[in-house]
Amino acid sequence: MSELNILYVEDDYRAAESVRALIAVGGDRLAWEKTGTAGLQRAGAEPFDVIILDRMLPDIDGLTIVSRLRAAGVDTPVLMLSALGRSENRIEGLEAGVDDYLAKPYEPQELVARLKALHRRSSGKVHGAVIIYGAFECHVKARTGFRSGRHIALSPREFALFRYFMENAGETVTREMLLRDVWNMNFDPQTNVVDVNIGRLRRKLEDGFASPALETIWGAGYRLTSGE
Amino acid sequence: MTPHSSRKSPPRQRNRSIFGQLTAASILIAMIAVAVLFAVTTITIQRQTRASLSATVATDLAGLIDIYATAGRTELLRRVNDRQDVVSLEGRRSHYLVADGAGRPLSGDISRWPQLNAAMSEEGFVALADGTKVYAQGAKLAPDLQLLVAREYDRDKASLLVISAIFLGVGAAIVGAVALVALITSRHLARRMDAVNKALGAAADGRSANFPARLRGGDEIDEMAGHGARLLARQAQLLKAYKQVSEHVAHEVRTPLMHLDNRLGAAMQDRPEPPGGPIGQSREDIRGITTLLDSLLDIASAESRRGELAGLAEIDLSAIVASLADLYEDSAEDADLTLETNIAPGVTMLGERMQITRLLSNLLDNAIKYVPAGGRIALTLTKGPHVVIEDNGPGIPHDQRDRIFERFVRATVPGEQHGHGLGLALSRAIAERHGLMLRLGDVPRGAQFILEPAP
Repeated sequence: MSELNILYVEDDYRAAESVRALIAVGGDRLAWEKTGTAGLQRAGAEPFDVIILDRMLPDIDGLTIVSRLRAAGVDTPVLMLSALGRSENRIEGLEAGVDDYLAKPYEPQELVARLKALHRRSSGKVHGAVIIYGAFECHVKARTGFRSGRHIALSPREFALFRYFMENAGETVTREMLLRDVWNMNFDPQTNVVDVNIGRLRRKLEDGFASPALETIWGAGYRLTSGE
Repeated sequence: MTPHSSRKSPPRQRNRSIFGQLTAASILIAMIAVAVLFAVTTITIQRQTRASLSATVATDLAGLIDIYATAGRTELLRRVNDRQDVVSLEGRRSHYLVADGAGRPLSGDISRWPQLNAAMSEEGFVALADGTKVYAQGAKLAPDLQLLVAREYDRDKASLLVISAIFLGVGAAIVGAVALVALITSRHLARRMDAVNKALGAAADGRSANFPARLRGGDEIDEMAGHGARLLARQAQLLKAYKQVSEHVAHEVRTPLMHLDNRLGAAMQDRPEPPGGPIGQSREDIRGITTLLDSLLDIASAESRRGELAGLAEIDLSAIVASLADLYEDSAEDADLTLETNIAPGVTMLGERMQITRLLSNLLDNAIKYVPAGGRIALTLTKGPHVVIEDNGPGIPHDQRDRIFERFVRATVPGEQHGHGLGLALSRAIAERHGLMLRLGDVPRGAQFILEPAP
């Protein structure tokens, strides 16, 4: 994937600096705007791949910026990065037209993973009937999975998880992304339900193979390997 | 199975309207007033008729007595014969009788002496032998001579009938007019009251309220609408202030925590430590603080929206419960617990999907945390909606049953447990925000949480 052109609207210098440093590691470019007005102007004028918006800005608040952008026909994916991280706040964000919502403080890798996922989703990678990645195959219609040509028996929920990993193949998938996209939850349960479900899937994918299928990215989430 | 909705708008059916009662009361009062007026008038007319008859009869009698005194018996008999068939100016036909001491007729057109005592000059309404109704007075002129003078009063009766008819017509018109005015007025008032009521009802449900504009600048209803509008404006102001404060608190606490977390993250990269090391622990603590803050704000938010219908949509509770059961099944198995589910299909309710998911997920998390290996968790959904999550774990100690739904209270159960003790407080706040009740069932063993419509 080519480098991303990212716009970050944030009034806090330190927050902006840490995101800039984080983004620079992957080779992506970050444009920083300090105010909502300037951010709105720039978002309309330049083609960005992703926009990161702080929610509480001194002049225009982030929700208004998104609504204005959407009303003006700008559909660049927006990730809202906010100190308001409650379930209710997230719903408000999504209703305003935000594509993803991440609460501060966040794990740096989580932000990177979300940005990439957002870009993937928006760049229109529509998966056909079969998703192939490395040794893995996901037959969407037949709801079956294969590794190196060998059929893997998956329950419906394991298949949903497997398919999500295949759709985000090679990229880090965070717990929050899984909760949101696979189980439709925008809060973190108090027990390790996600890890348990991943553990199940991992065992099935790795049973009888020497190499790992899912690796844990500590503090961030999981990644599907090529399985070869 | 047909889907059914558990909860519609709270019951606020109006049984009676004061305006309907006022209309009925004014019609009744108008009817009573007309009836009383009619009674008084007829009684007065009847009294005056009697007085007039009495005077006429008495005058006539006096004249005849005069004739008897001056001209004697024969002249009286002659005059009486002349006078009968005379119709007076008032249209009252006269009748006479001159009789002997025993009441046998000597002269006149009345054939029999009626029930009147001549010696006492008795007078009154009597019926003559031929059935004619008259007002009569008798007089004893001599021991063997008595005189009776009578007047018919059918003309008086006829005028009374006419007056009654007029009264009936006019009375009906008055009652009708009162009813019409009362109906129109009360309809108008009821419409205005309904507008105010509707606005207040909408506000109570959390929807946007439109108070009727002041039209004629200031009767009681306008005043009430004004107060209502001010009350709502004040409430909206408070809610806004609460939201602002909570958002600022969250922002001001989270931002420095984020910087702290970033520095710790950088430190961890410089000096890698094994999982569970001091820096990692510190970062865990930072997450703990933000989770705590969020939970408190979530509880406050759910509590402030109790009874509010805005934001609630029909949700498929069966699907939500099934999806949660699916998510937790592996967790239960991993903890060596059995998760039994019994989910009725098609159960829907008005709710916020995410909130309800969170409520149930909290309860399942609790069960998985507290029930020791080998235990059993049962999740049941039936119409109502009625959700029961029960287990055969250690249960809730009896002295703590009343307190576990309070903030920062955790059941003291052997074994180390995490959490701030806000999960159940949040679950209950969410339940109440949906008009549901979350309570502990009375079971001999284990814990039983019941979610059902509030009574």
